[in-house]
Amino acid sequence: MDRRTFLKILASGSVGFATGYSPDPYGGSRPDKTLYSLVNAPEDMVTGAPTWYATTCRECPAGCGILAKNREGRVIKLEGNPLHPVNRGSLCMRGQAALQGVYHPDRLQTPMVKEGNKWRKISFAEAQHLLNGRLAAAAQGGRDGIAMVTETVGQTQMDLFRLCLDAWKASPPIIFEPFAYESLKGANEAVFGRRVLPSYRMESADLLVAFGADFLETWLSPVEYARRFKSMHSINDKGEKGFFCHVSPFQSLTGANADLWLACHPGTESVVALGLLREALAAGLGSGLPRPFLAELEILAPPFTRELVAERTGIAPGDYARLIEALVRSRRPLVLGTGAAAADASAVLTDMAANCLNWVLDPALSRLDFAHPHRVQTASTRSQVVEFFRSMKDTAPQVLLLHNVNPVYAMPGVESVEAAITNERTFTVSFSCFLDETSQLADLVFPVRLPLECWDEYAGKEGLPSTLQPAMGRLTEAPQLGDVLLAAYGGTDLKEGKAKAFLVSRFLNQGIVKDEGEWLRTLQQGGVFRERDLGASNSRSPVPQPDPSRLNPLRQIPEGDRSGFTFVAAPSLRFFDGRGANRPWLCEIPDPLTRVAWQTPVLMHPATMKAEALQQGDRVRISHAGKGIEAPIYDAPWVKPGVLVMPMGQGHFAYGRYAKDKGINPLALLPAGAEKAGDGPVHVISGVFLRRTGSREPLARTDGARIPYGRKIALSVPLDGLEELKQLRLPGLTMWDFPMTLPLPEGYDPTRDFYPPHGHDRYRWSMVVDLDRCIGCGACAAACYAENNIGIVGEEQVRRGREMAWLSVERYLDPVDASRVTFLPLMCQHCDNAPCESVCPVYAPHHGKEGMNNQIYNRCIGTRFCSQNCPYKVRRFNWFAWEWPEPLQLQLNPNVTVRSKGVMEKCSFCIQRIKEVHGRAENEKRPIRDGEAVPACVQTCPTGALTFGSLMDPESRARRLVDDPRAYQILGYLNTKPAVIYLRKVIQQL
Amino acid sequence: MTRLTFSEIDHTVLETLRPAGRGYWTAVGILFAGVLVGASCWAYQIATGIGVGGQNIPVAWGTYLINFVFWVGIAHSGTLISAILHLLRARWRNPIARAAETMTVFAVCTAGLFPFIHLGRVWVVHYMLPLPNQRTLWPNFQSPLMFDVVAISTYLTVSSLFWYTGMLPDLARVRDTAEGFRKRVFTILSLGWTGTHEQWRHYTRIYLFFAALATPLVVSVHSVVSWDFALGIVPGWHTTIFAPYFVAGAIHSGLAMVLTLMIPLRRIFGYERLITLHVLESVAKTIILTGLIVGFAYGTELFVAWYSRNIVEMETFRWRLTGEYAYGFWLMVLCNVAVPILFFFRRIRTSIPWLFVISIIVNIGMWFERFVIIIGAVAHDFLPHAWGLYGPTWVELGIMLGSFSLFFFLFMLFCKHLPSVSMTEMKETLVEGSGDGY
Repeated sequence: MDRRTFLKILASGSVGFATGYSPDPYGGSRPDKTLYSLVNAPEDMVTGAPTWYATTCRECPAGCGILAKNREGRVIKLEGNPLHPVNRGSLCMRGQAALQGVYHPDRLQTPMVKEGNKWRKISFAEAQHLLNGRLAAAAQGGRDGIAMVTETVGQTQMDLFRLCLDAWKASPPIIFEPFAYESLKGANEAVFGRRVLPSYRMESADLLVAFGADFLETWLSPVEYARRFKSMHSINDKGEKGFFCHVSPFQSLTGANADLWLACHPGTESVVALGLLREALAAGLGSGLPRPFLAELEILAPPFTRELVAERTGIAPGDYARLIEALVRSRRPLVLGTGAAAADASAVLTDMAANCLNWVLDPALSRLDFAHPHRVQTASTRSQVVEFFRSMKDTAPQVLLLHNVNPVYAMPGVESVEAAITNERTFTVSFSCFLDETSQLADLVFPVRLPLECWDEYAGKEGLPSTLQPAMGRLTEAPQLGDVLLAAYGGTDLKEGKAKAFLVSRFLNQGIVKDEGEWLRTLQQGGVFRERDLGASNSRSPVPQPDPSRLNPLRQIPEGDRSGFTFVAAPSLRFFDGRGANRPWLCEIPDPLTRVAWQTPVLMHPATMKAEALQQGDRVRISHAGKGIEAPIYDAPWVKPGVLVMPMGQGHFAYGRYAKDKGINPLALLPAGAEKAGDGPVHVISGVFLRRTGSREPLARTDGARIPYGRKIALSVPLDGLEELKQLRLPGLTMWDFPMTLPLPEGYDPTRDFYPPHGHDRYRWSMVVDLDRCIGCGACAAACYAENNIGIVGEEQVRRGREMAWLSVERYLDPVDASRVTFLPLMCQHCDNAPCESVCPVYAPHHGKEGMNNQIYNRCIGTRFCSQNCPYKVRRFNWFAWEWPEPLQLQLNPNVTVRSKGVMEKCSFCIQRIKEVHGRAENEKRPIRDGEAVPACVQTCPTGALTFGSLMDPESRARRLVDDPRAYQILGYLNTKPAVIYLRKVIQQL
Repeated sequence: MTRLTFSEIDHTVLETLRPAGRGYWTAVGILFAGVLVGASCWAYQIATGIGVGGQNIPVAWGTYLINFVFWVGIAHSGTLISAILHLLRARWRNPIARAAETMTVFAVCTAGLFPFIHLGRVWVVHYMLPLPNQRTLWPNFQSPLMFDVVAISTYLTVSSLFWYTGMLPDLARVRDTAEGFRKRVFTILSLGWTGTHEQWRHYTRIYLFFAALATPLVVSVHSVVSWDFALGIVPGWHTTIFAPYFVAGAIHSGLAMVLTLMIPLRRIFGYERLITLHVLESVAKTIILTGLIVGFAYGTELFVAWYSRNIVEMETFRWRLTGEYAYGFWLMVLCNVAVPILFFFRRIRTSIPWLFVISIIVNIGMWFERFVIIIGAVAHDFLPHAWGLYGPTWVELGIMLGSFSLFFFLFMLFCKHLPSVSMTEMKETLVEGSGDGY
């Protein structure tokens, strides 16, 4: 029996296996020669039919559940696990791109040991032998001869680490996360008395105020919070919509989704928070709080008058006053703290003030969920990490184990990191699949299996044990880290399966599962999910009691340091802390706000640029305290004047072909070490100087213009204008009075149409895009790349306008108020009167029976007339034969043609998925059900902005949404009769 | 000035067919090298992908289509001069009709290459032919590109036949004095022309019929080419003025090219007494007319865009005047409308250097007109987020160089091997002795 069969049986729930299974299911340590073979195929494998494995995403500490789609032995697509309470079927773009880690062409195949300055490849057995020897020697040398640094891991893995480290007389590992939320934890400890990271019940709020928390990008659990945020912040049946105010020196994607952006000076968020606290207290809120606590608040808040706030923060007094009014009026307000982009000495103050504010506004703290804290709270603080590396100078353990961390990149200023890793007395082992900056300095690089190939457990939030299982055959011989450590622990040769046994026995012993049968069911569904709705109540965790004793720091009034520019390093939606930078999809999909791909520009307000006489694309040198970086300028009206914002994640000098020498690392400018007040890193510095270098770097922008030029493209409607919209009758032929014309026979009008209407065969597929729900995160675009074998063109070709994205989330700014952003997911509109169809000389764009506009690649001769004539410019041309360096090609979806050079392509509504559903429905002799056919973009959208269905089914969700008064068609007056219907974004002002 | 005689005409023209010198062959060699450059660039493009050019989304058509329209435009004047002016009995066209027709044939050949060069997958271009196949796939005759195939191939066929038919008596005349191998070749080419009354009667009839047949083509070909754009929905393309506008522009550029070719030809071959200054002056006067027509068309486009109150159209034309490609627009106005107005001055239109320089300027202007239309419209169309710019690459420039080389290469071969002025028609002019100054 081979491992695949074993997996199948596990996955399909056949009884008989569990902990005690002894024959080595892995068949030795060799990688599978063929991922599958029809000669001895597993019995239940049907060629052409996918198998799905439930597992858990480990691309960030959020821990979303995923279903991995396996075709013929290789995983080709990841989708969110609909059963998982964290993400409920959605996945962000980083999660989608986890696949490209598995199939990365620069993934290490064998361990490498450093000899002199050269790497020598060795076998895994040799590496294990070497490791065993070193560890045994170090363990005998006394206490703390071994040290370990790991990323955030699940409790099972942590238990395993501790088991081994204890045996080796070593301390527990340092958990290094570049985004470790030190200020939030510190503030929670100070105000709530608990050093935890609670969950936030955003869905039950009606007013949300965030002081920089980028909860739609990287903050704690972005997919989860995107969903929860949109369930309060989208128009509901009663015509209401929650309000979101973002207080931050720059907008970020989260801020771009705010109804009100209060642009404060960097580092003055706490002033706003305390100011709001003052006003809340003045309005008599929080009166039920314990007296001493309230008394303390009444001492510290009053100095923060409206005048002081306006003066210190630079916020327009009118906006501030309206926010106060809304806050006081609000019945269910929720305040969120800072994100990584606000990390400096004031962050902990802001978070403390936000906590106090929450308490005053909602004495029961009913929207904070202490029962489900985030797993990332286990991460060590930055001070601990820095201190750890510093102390290594003296202690110099004999062995340093690094598990999937890259401190050399993440803390470029901290010299002790490099010193510790390269110390001659220390044998550094990096368990990493990539030769990143840190692994490069190690003595032994020991590749281990990636999460998609592992048996493991990870609970992104407490109380949600989620399982990981291998979702595919093996591409390398790499063993699982647990097995390596257990082999070293026992001093034996590498023998796989022990870590899995450890995992299963832990699940059984701790009573997480009752028996083997339940273990198998747990594996099948991806974890133990007892609650579908996460933390509906606080029942299992008592609300903390207020403690006024540690609020002292809030008494001081911060002085804003305003010399020079302020520089902010912001976390990146695409690269997270930098670990995503080697994934071509993440590089190629442009940043949601700048629409720049592959590069790291420095964002600056146009007014600042004008004052400095700078143009977009000019390279500037940014310097601070003897350090400097060079980057191209990007004019961003969503940044406060005088502030420079740069996304983190790029600027690697190792880490494979897609990351190396791409973009710039802003961390290189920041001071080393941690700041004292909150133990966290410093991501905001002031007193920065700017000098033009004279050279230019044209940006790889994918946007032509930012404003819609008054055209019917990305529309919005004020909340109080909805009624008016319902009365609206459109009788004319011009852009604004052309009526909605559905791509159905009913949309035929002999006075407007030259050609007879199309008949459709039972279905007329259509998509409804709710702009009110779209947050612009781009998960849909990543899913589209993964599903449809879309080529990666690289920086140079993007600059030349040749990106291949079938779906791009266009970003439009309001021409009057540039801080108002509308995101418009744009894909082929599958028009009924498609302009592309009539101009092609060979019928390559072809109108299908179910209304879709099909592009017949084989027929295309490449005149490109279709693209010229497409008013939506959604067609993409294969200018070259795009490359998938081996083994990236193994990710390709076998159900989708890989297009050759010289042909046009575009969104197909994932026709392969529709065809699959057709087959299923035909077998069962029934029509396709509504919601059964789901394109990849619709499947992954965290906020449910996309709805797919047949317009010919009067009961389908899509058909019913079309009747929404907000519905419109982009440039419908061209009478193209698009099948993609948009619902206007609902905007509101206080 | 003495009157021309039959023998002087014969002598002057036949003199040009004497074996050529080293200078001529060097020039031919250089031009052939240019053709090879273009061919190599094309081969490289086929092997690597059309992306070696500068096209992108939104500007999916680049210099290939500009050059296509440019050469089709050049091709226009040949037929205009030989057919329409023949029907209109404008005698001044006789000395230049042959060269202009030749220009037409070669320009259509050059133009005809560009749709192929432009294709992403030229190796499956036969999909455009209505070849029977078991899957009953058919070309889409709704597509303007199919119109093009029909229009251009018809035009090439008719203009080649017209050219050849008109040349028959001259070929026979060359045959009569040629010797050896050339005699054999010209014997075959002249199809047994003996100059009998019957043959002349047929000849003049067929020439007239061809002229009548070709006349609608002058209008139709460039109208059809204009529909490549006008039938699209892109603002800046989608307008009913395009057909006449393109035809006028084509004639404009074709006449300019006639001047560009005739002036050196006249000088080198000593045609001064055949192609008189009066002929060139007449061409220049016609250029004034066509220049004013295209100027009117530019104005009309702008006016209609403004008058329509369609914000997309208005933005397209505002940008055309002030955007990134505004230099192209103003260059086009300057070269095509403003500069030809200088021909109102008799001194300028009778000065050979002025004529030559302005003819080249007009050709540059007409190239930029196509640039402004083909590139400018899609670069700035419906969806602002998709707007983008385009710039040609060295491969495109190489192919463009190749196309010019090919055209001049063919023309060079022609003028030393075939009579470049129609002896027959020159003699007709003498006999009829109309009041055209002869």
